[in-house]
Amino acid sequence: MNHSNSMPVRTLIAAAVVAALIAGCASTPRQPMGSAEVRAKLTQLQSNTNLANRAPVALKDAESAVKVAETPQKDLELAAHRVYIADRKVDTARALAETSAAEAERVTLNQMSEKARLDSRTREVDRAKADASMAQVDAANARADTAEQKVATNQARNDADAAVLAAKVSQDEAALAQQQASELQRQVALLQARPTDRGLVLTLGDTLFATGKSELKSGASANLDRITAFMSEYPNRTALIEGFTDSMGADDYNQQLSQRRADSVKRYLVGKGVGSERLSANGRGENSPVADNESLAGRQQNRRVEVVISQAPQITGAN
Amino acid sequence: MALGLPFLFLFGTAWAAKPAPTENLQAAQQAIANAERVDAAVNSAVELGEARNKLALATAAVSDKKMVVAQRLADESRAEAELAAARSTAAKASAVNNDMKRSTSTLIDEMQRKTGESK
Repeated sequence: MNHSNSMPVRTLIAAAVVAALIAGCASTPRQPMGSAEVRAKLTQLQSNTNLANRAPVALKDAESAVKVAETPQKDLELAAHRVYIADRKVDTARALAETSAAEAERVTLNQMSEKARLDSRTREVDRAKADASMAQVDAANARADTAEQKVATNQARNDADAAVLAAKVSQDEAALAQQQASELQRQVALLQARPTDRGLVLTLGDTLFATGKSELKSGASANLDRITAFMSEYPNRTALIEGFTDSMGADDYNQQLSQRRADSVKRYLVGKGVGSERLSANGRGENSPVADNESLAGRQQNRRVEVVISQAPQITGAN
Repeated sequence: MALGLPFLFLFGTAWAAKPAPTENLQAAQQAIANAERVDAAVNSAVELGEARNKLALATAAVSDKKMVVAQRLADESRAEAELAAARSTAAKASAVNNDMKRSTSTLIDEMQRKTGESK
């Protein structure tokens, strides 16, 4: 470019410079190619509420670079370079803002994840609890069943016991009845008496007394001793001693004689230890014959003393 | 002659013996290293490749003594490398978030399925 001082050249150069200046003046309002796009990109980033404040340093840097890029520049390579730098800085600012936003979002995500995990655990616990209470209900049901069975078993056992008891009672009653029957037989055998509605009746014949006498004969004691034995074995029995005569002689005499004879028997028994309160003596005279008084044998039967042993107040009381 | 001085100045700047843009080159290298460290080779390979390419061109321009060009290329390399690093980091952050979203929704799905089974 060393074209020295030749006029035509200088003129040419001057013209070129003027042209360049004119061109420059003309291009002054025109921004370098691509700078508008970079500005638009920056504006977009700045108007993104989620990203605008995320990377302030990088964004400010990008802003400056865009301003530089927008500065009209005749050196197209430099202009293109500046646009390039501005473009990369805007992109970088966006990437940094996105990173920051992602990190901020992570806090929320962590909370969500934590909540989900907690919910999951809570539900598991709830389910476990539900299972447990279900099992408890099952167990309770099973227990109730068992208890019911136990009650039923007890009932059955009680019923069985009652049945056994009833059987035993009836057995006992049967045994008692049998015992009573055999007891009666024993008493009858012991006294050689006959059971009647009034009680056991022992008839002592006229062999006890001499005719017209009320003193006991010495041989009478065997019959009377059976009564003594009986009365001492059954201490709650009482005895009514009744005297009878045949129809021979005066009524009044017979009445007194029968009374003395009854008294005589009573006296003998009291003398053998039978309480006098358990004994009563009664003369019945010639009334209540058991046979006719026409024959000797009949009169002999009518002359007698009967000892009526009362029924036990309660038959079972004999035990 | 009045116009000569600015004229000379204009061209002189371009031709003046400028020192190599060592700092700019180093800054670019540093930025590329940073980008590589944050896995830009994986997440923003295009940008990283561009940064490396620009750095190579800048180095070549230094060899050609085109120091102005070398400096611009070095600066562009650095800006490209910084973008590569930023995008890689953003991509990783986004991936982490997506993983979290996925695992959370999986958890919720499982939970609902389990709950559904139990009912």
